[in-house]
Amino acid sequence: MIAMRMNPWLVSMAVATFLTACGGDPPAQDALNIDQAQDSTAKADRMAQTKKIFFNIPSPMETAALLKKTGAQYNGKILNDVNKVDSYTAASQQALNLGVYGADLSYASVFNHTQESMFYTSCSRKLADRLGVISAFNDSTLELMQSKMNDRDALLDIISETYWNVDAYLKENGRDNISALMIAGGWVEGLYIATQVSTTNDSPELRQRIAEQKLSLSDLNGLLDSYELDDARLNGVKEDLHALQALFAEVQVASGDATMTEENGVAVIGGTSPSATLTDAQLASIREKAATIRNSYIN
Amino acid sequence: MLNARMMIAKTLMAGTLVLIAAAANAQCRSFAKNKCVPELAPYKFNESFNAAQLAPGEEAEVNLTFYSGQEYRVMVCTHPILGEVNWKLVDLNNKIVFESLADSPKHVFDLKAANTVQMKAVVWVPGTGTSDMVHVGCVAVLVGFKE
Repeated sequence: MIAMRMNPWLVSMAVATFLTACGGDPPAQDALNIDQAQDSTAKADRMAQTKKIFFNIPSPMETAALLKKTGAQYNGKILNDVNKVDSYTAASQQALNLGVYGADLSYASVFNHTQESMFYTSCSRKLADRLGVISAFNDSTLELMQSKMNDRDALLDIISETYWNVDAYLKENGRDNISALMIAGGWVEGLYIATQVSTTNDSPELRQRIAEQKLSLSDLNGLLDSYELDDARLNGVKEDLHALQALFAEVQVASGDATMTEENGVAVIGGTSPSATLTDAQLASIREKAATIRNSYIN
Repeated sequence: MLNARMMIAKTLMAGTLVLIAAAANAQCRSFAKNKCVPELAPYKFNESFNAAQLAPGEEAEVNLTFYSGQEYRVMVCTHPILGEVNWKLVDLNNKIVFESLADSPKHVFDLKAANTVQMKAVVWVPGTGTSDMVHVGCVAVLVGFKE
C-alpha cells in the first residue's frame, strides 16, 4: 500500500544496512556516516523525493462491523459456496476468492455465526496454502481459531491478524498483484453483501453506508492504479472497479470543512455536508453491477 | 565477455536491491506489528498497514475515512532512531483538525465521528540540520476503531 520511489542515496544506504546486518553488532536500523561532499547532493535528491502515499482501504472486518451497526440481519445464503473452493485453480482466481472468502468469514464472525466462520476459515486456509502463504496462515492458526470459537472477540482478533499477516507476507515477497487482487476481492464481496442485504433489510442507515463506499472505492482505485504491473487479471479488476466508480459518480458524500467539538474529553469530528444517501435507482444499479462483478470472480 | 559480466552484475545488483527493499519493508512491518499495534488497544486495528522507511525531510500522507457514529484512534508510531516526528490531521480543505509537533509530541489522537468525514494524516520528519549522521526509520500511521 505504499507508493515508494527508490533513489540512489537510499539504495546505497540500504545496501550498507543489508551488508552489515550479518555482523555481530546490533542491527543499526539505519544510521550511516556519509561523506560530506556526497551528502549535499544526496540531501538535495532526498528532499526532491515525492511524498509517500498510502491507501487506507477498510478491512472486511471493519466493513462487516459497520453493516452490523445498521441493524442489518445476517443472511448466510448470499455468501460464496464453500464447495467452490477447489475449482479455483489459477492464482489470480485464488487471490480474488481468498478476499471473497475472507470477507464472508468476517461477515459470519462479526454476526457471531461460528460454524460458518469455521467453514470460511477452512476455505481461506486452502486458498492461502495454494498461494504459498502457508507461513502466514497455517494449521496452528486454524487450531487457535478452533480453540477460540466461543470467544467472539478473540476470534475476531485472530482473523484480523491473519488477514494482515497474509497481506504482509504477499507484499514482502514481491507479490503485490496477488495482494491487490485479494484486497479487491474482499472489498467487492463486502459491497455485494451490503447491497444484497439491502433487498430485505433496506434502511436509511444501510443506504448511507453503501453510498459511503464511494470513498473507499476511490482509495481502492488509487491503490490498484499505483501498481503498474503487466497483469491481465489485475487490469480487468481495475476496469471493473472503474465501472463501479462511474455508478457512484452522482452519489453525494462527505465534503467540505470538518468541525471539531469535545465530548467527555474526546474530540468529536463533524462535517458540514449532509449524510450520504442513495436513490432507489442508484442503489439498484450499484447492486446489479456489484453482483455481476462478484459473480464473475467466484464462477 | 565484458558485456556478459556487466549484465550478470546488473542482474545480481537488481536482485539484491529487491531483497533489500523487501527486508526493509519486513523490518518495518515487524516493528509496526510488535511495537505499535498493541498501543491501539482497546481499539481494534483496522488492518491497514500504512508504514514506510522515512528519512529526515521526507513526508508521508494517508487518506482516512471516519464513519459516522464510530470511535477511532489515530496513531503515529516511529522507530526511536528517527526521534519524534511532526504530524497532523487535515480535512479536505487542508484545515488542521489536529497537530502534533516533534517538540511536544502526541502519539495518538482519539476521536468520535459525528458525521462521516474524510481526512488526511500527514507526517513529516524534521530535518537534521548540519549533522553528518543520517537516519532512516520506520514510521507507521495506524488506525483503530471501536466495534
